[in-house]
Amino acid sequence: MGLLAVKLAQLQVADGSRLAALAESNTVHRVILEADRGIIYDRHGVPLVENSPVWTVVIVPAGLPSDAAARAQELVTVSRLAGVAEPKLADALFTADPYSSVDVATGLTQAQELAINERLPELVGVSLVQHAVRTYREPLVFGHVLGYVGPIDTADAKRLRDAGYQPDEMIGKVGVEAGLETLLRGRDGWQDVQVDARGKVIRVLASQEPVPGDAVYLTVDASLQRATASSLAAGLARDGKTAGASVVVDPRTGEVLAMVSLPAYDTNLFTHGISRAAYDSLLHDPDRPLLNRAIAGQYAPGSTFKMVTATAGLQEGKITPQTLLNCPPYINLGGWIYHNWASYSLGRMNVATALATSCDTFFYQVAAMVGDVTLAKYARAYGFGQAKEIEMPGVMAGLVPDRIWKQIQCGVPDLNSDACRWSEGDTITFGIGQSYLLTTPLNQAMYAAALANGGRVLRPTLVHEARDATGRTVLAQKTEVTSTVPASAGTIQAVREGMREEINPPYHMNYWFRASGVPADGGGKTGTAQWGGSGLDLPTHAWFIFFAPYAQPEIALSVFVERGELSEVEAAPIGVDIMKFYRGNIGAIRSGAP
Amino acid sequence: MTRRLDRTQALLAGALAVLGVMTVYSAHADWNRQILWVLLGAAAYVAATVYDYRRLSSIAPTLYGAMLLMLVAVHLAGHSALGARRWLSVAGFPLEPSEISKLILVLVLAAYLARHEQISWRVFGGGLALLVPPAYLVLAQPDLGTTMVIAAVTLGMLYLGGARPAQLLAVVAACAVALPLLPRLLHGYQRRRLEIFLDPNQDPLGAGYNLLQARIAVGSGGMFGRGWLQGLQGQLGFVPERATDFVFATFAEEFGLLGSLVLLTAFGVLLIRVLRAASVAPDRFGELLAGGAFVMVFVQVIQNVGMNIGLMPIAGIPLPLISYGGSATITTLAALGLVQSVVVRRRPVVHPESERRGLGTISRRAQA
Repeated sequence: MGLLAVKLAQLQVADGSRLAALAESNTVHRVILEADRGIIYDRHGVPLVENSPVWTVVIVPAGLPSDAAARAQELVTVSRLAGVAEPKLADALFTADPYSSVDVATGLTQAQELAINERLPELVGVSLVQHAVRTYREPLVFGHVLGYVGPIDTADAKRLRDAGYQPDEMIGKVGVEAGLETLLRGRDGWQDVQVDARGKVIRVLASQEPVPGDAVYLTVDASLQRATASSLAAGLARDGKTAGASVVVDPRTGEVLAMVSLPAYDTNLFTHGISRAAYDSLLHDPDRPLLNRAIAGQYAPGSTFKMVTATAGLQEGKITPQTLLNCPPYINLGGWIYHNWASYSLGRMNVATALATSCDTFFYQVAAMVGDVTLAKYARAYGFGQAKEIEMPGVMAGLVPDRIWKQIQCGVPDLNSDACRWSEGDTITFGIGQSYLLTTPLNQAMYAAALANGGRVLRPTLVHEARDATGRTVLAQKTEVTSTVPASAGTIQAVREGMREEINPPYHMNYWFRASGVPADGGGKTGTAQWGGSGLDLPTHAWFIFFAPYAQPEIALSVFVERGELSEVEAAPIGVDIMKFYRGNIGAIRSGAP
Repeated sequence: MTRRLDRTQALLAGALAVLGVMTVYSAHADWNRQILWVLLGAAAYVAATVYDYRRLSSIAPTLYGAMLLMLVAVHLAGHSALGARRWLSVAGFPLEPSEISKLILVLVLAAYLARHEQISWRVFGGGLALLVPPAYLVLAQPDLGTTMVIAAVTLGMLYLGGARPAQLLAVVAACAVALPLLPRLLHGYQRRRLEIFLDPNQDPLGAGYNLLQARIAVGSGGMFGRGWLQGLQGQLGFVPERATDFVFATFAEEFGLLGSLVLLTAFGVLLIRVLRAASVAPDRFGELLAGGAFVMVFVQVIQNVGMNIGLMPIAGIPLPLISYGGSATITTLAALGLVQSVVVRRRPVVHPESERRGLGTISRRAQA
C-alpha cells in the first residue's frame, strides 16, 4: 500500500504537470482551415479559374466499431459507396497508425458524396472532408499564362515551412500561379478542437478564420487571348507547323494583353491528378507542350534584328536616313561569301528601303561600319539578352554574344585559336540577327513596343490589379521603363519609317492587310532566322513583329513560328489576323477595368 | 445483533460503492446498472450477515462442484468479448463465473483448511489440488488476471492457515522452475503485455497505449485532480476500459493525489477491519474465511492500482467496489457480508485459552 502511495505521489506531483500537458495534447488537436486560393480573372473580371469542391472520405482506424463483424460490415458499406476496392481499403487502414486520419477515397463524385453524407451518422469513425481543387476554365487557351498548382515538393516544403506551408499543400508550380503565389495563397486559419479518443470533435476551443488569397486581375484580355490562340493555331495548321508563340502588349504601359504558346496542354490534369503515362507522354512529346515558348523559347531573331543595326548605324553617324548603299546579291569578306536573300542586286537604297526589302547585304555593311561591340550595346539597350521581369518563373534571357562570350564557350583548349576568336563574319551576321544571337517571343514583343513608343523598353506585366478579400487594392499595375535606347527621336523615326514601308505598297506584305481589311497603319518586320549551325539551307524559324497605329501606337506584338520557312507567308498573316480581331473588338478590349 | 456489527466496515464498503457509482458515471458506463448491482450486492451483504456462515462449511463441496460446473459452462455456452470467453447469460444478465469463483474458492479452502489444524505436506498439496481445476478453467478462458488472483488467494490462505515456510518456499521454487516456460504458456497478447509493462514506450500507439494513457490520466490529475466529470483522458475516452480495468486512472485523474490517497486509505482501513474480523472469529473456519476475504480484496486492490500506475503488468482485474461490473461487485459485497457474519458471531470475550495454535496465527502473521 505504501509503495502504491509513493508511486502515486511521483506520478501525480512530480510528473503531474508534464503528464497533464500530455493529456491536453492528446485531446486538443489543431485543425488547419485551408484558405481559399485567390481567383485569377482577366482584365475585365472574367474568371479564368475556380476552386471546385472535392470530397475525401477520411477514416480514423481506432474510431471504427470495435466489434469485428460491425467493423467488417461498415467497411463493406464504405467500399461500396466510395467505389474503393475493399482489400485496398482494409490495407490502407490496417497499415496506418490507428489514431491517424487516413484518406481512403479522394475525388468523390457529387453522387458518392451525397450517398455517404446521408449514411454518415451510422458510419462510426468515418468522416467527409472537403478540399478545394483548382480547376482551370480554358486550360488550352490560358494554360501557359496561368500555369498550375501541384503538391509542394520536399525541398519547397522545407524552405517554406516557416511561411506556414503544410506538407500536403498545393503550391503554384508554373505560370502566374507560381509567380503570384504569395498573393494567391492567402493565410490558412486554424481551429483548436477538443476531440475524443475516436477523433470526434467535442468542442471548439479557439479558432482563427482563414484569410482567402487575393483576387488577381490580369492584364490579359480573355477574348484577345482566345483570338490570338486560334489565329496562331490556324496559321500553324495552314502551313503544317506544330509549334509557335505570340505575345501581344500595350506599348504605352507594358501590359501583356495576350500570351500564347502552342502546343498547349490541359493544366487540369495536374490539379486533378495526372497518370504516369499521361505525364510521360507530355514530357516526351517532340513538340514539347510543357515549354512556354513565349517566355522560355530562345531563337535567333533573324531579320527582325535589323532595326537594332539601323539604329546603331544612324545614331553612331555611320549612315544617315538619306545615305544610299548598294544591295548586291552577296559580299566578299576576305574570301568568304555572305549572301543576300535575293540572288540579284536590288540596287542602291536608303535605310528605310533596306528595312522594307530586308536587304541583308545592306546591313552587313552597316554592321561592319558599327562594329560588334557597339552593335551589342544597342542590342542590350533594346532589351536583348535580358530576362524580363514578369510575374512568372522560367523566363529566359536569350543571348547577345560578344568576343569574351565566344572565347569562353568555344570549347577548344586554346582560347586564342581561330575557332574561338571573334571574326568579321560574326560581326556582319550579327547585324542581320544571326551569328549567336538569341531572343524570346516576349522579348520580341517588348522590342516591338520600344520601336512603337520611341525607344523606351518597358517591363512587361501580367497583373493589372490585385485585391484582397475586403476589396482593397493591394497591387496595381504601374508602367516601368527598364531602359531607354540611346538614340535621338530622328533616329528612331527613321527606323520606324522602314517598318511602315515594309507593310505598305509596293511590298508584298501589304497583301495580307488588304486581304483582311486591316489598314496598314503601323510598322512591321518579318524575319526568317536560320538555326542549327552555319552554312546554306539551314532550317529556319519565322518571326513577325508589329505595332499599330503608326502615329500613336497602342498595340505591339510578336509572332513566332517554329520551323517556319517563310516569315512573310507564315508568320505575318497570323499577326494580321490578331490585328483584325483587335480592331474589330477594340471597344470591348479597351473598355474600363473591372 | 446490530450492536455487534462492525459498523466501520459496513460504512466503508458503502462509501466505496458510492464512489464506485460516481466514477462509473463519470466514465460513461451504464451507471443505472451499476446502482442495480450495488443494491443487489447490498442485499447479498445483508443476507450474508444474517446467515450463519458456519453452515457454509458443510455445503462447501457442493459449492465447489457448482463453481466448476459454471466454469465449464462458460467454455461451452459463454459469450465472448475482447477475445475471451467469460460471460454466461442468466435471465438476460451477464454473469461472470470467474468472479464468483474467487469467493467460492475462499469458502472451499476455508472449509478444507479448518478441518486440519496442522498443515502437513499432504494437506498443503490438497489445498493446491483444489486450486488446479478452477485455475485451469479460468486460465483457458483466457483470464490470466483472475487466475493470478485465485492462485494468490490460495497461497495466502495456506499461509494464514499455518503453512510452514518450507512448503511455501517449495511453491516459489516450483514457480521459479516454471518461469522460463511462461512465455510459451502465455497467449500472444499476454506475453506482449508483459513486454510492454517492462517498456511501455516501445509501442506507444499499439499495445503500450493502454498503459501510457492510464499513466497520463493518473499524472494529469495532479495534487487535487481535475474534478468530478472534468477529466480529459477519462471523459474523452483516451483511457481504455475506463470503467473497468482502468477505472482507477479515471478516478485518479478527477480526484488527484488527495482523492487517490483517501481511496487507498479507505481500502486500507476496510482491510484492517477484515483482518480484525479474522482475529475475533469464533472458529478456525470463520478465521480462515475472513482471512481469505482479506487476501481476495487486498490482491485485487494492489494489482489493479499497481497496473494503473505502471507498477504491475496489465491483467484484467477489477478494482473491488469501484469498477463497473455486476459479478465482481456482488461477489465483493457478499464476501464482506460473510466477514460481517463472522464478526457478529464473534466470542463475547477473548479468553486466554483461545490463543491456541491455529487461532491467532492470522493476526500474528498479518501484523508481520
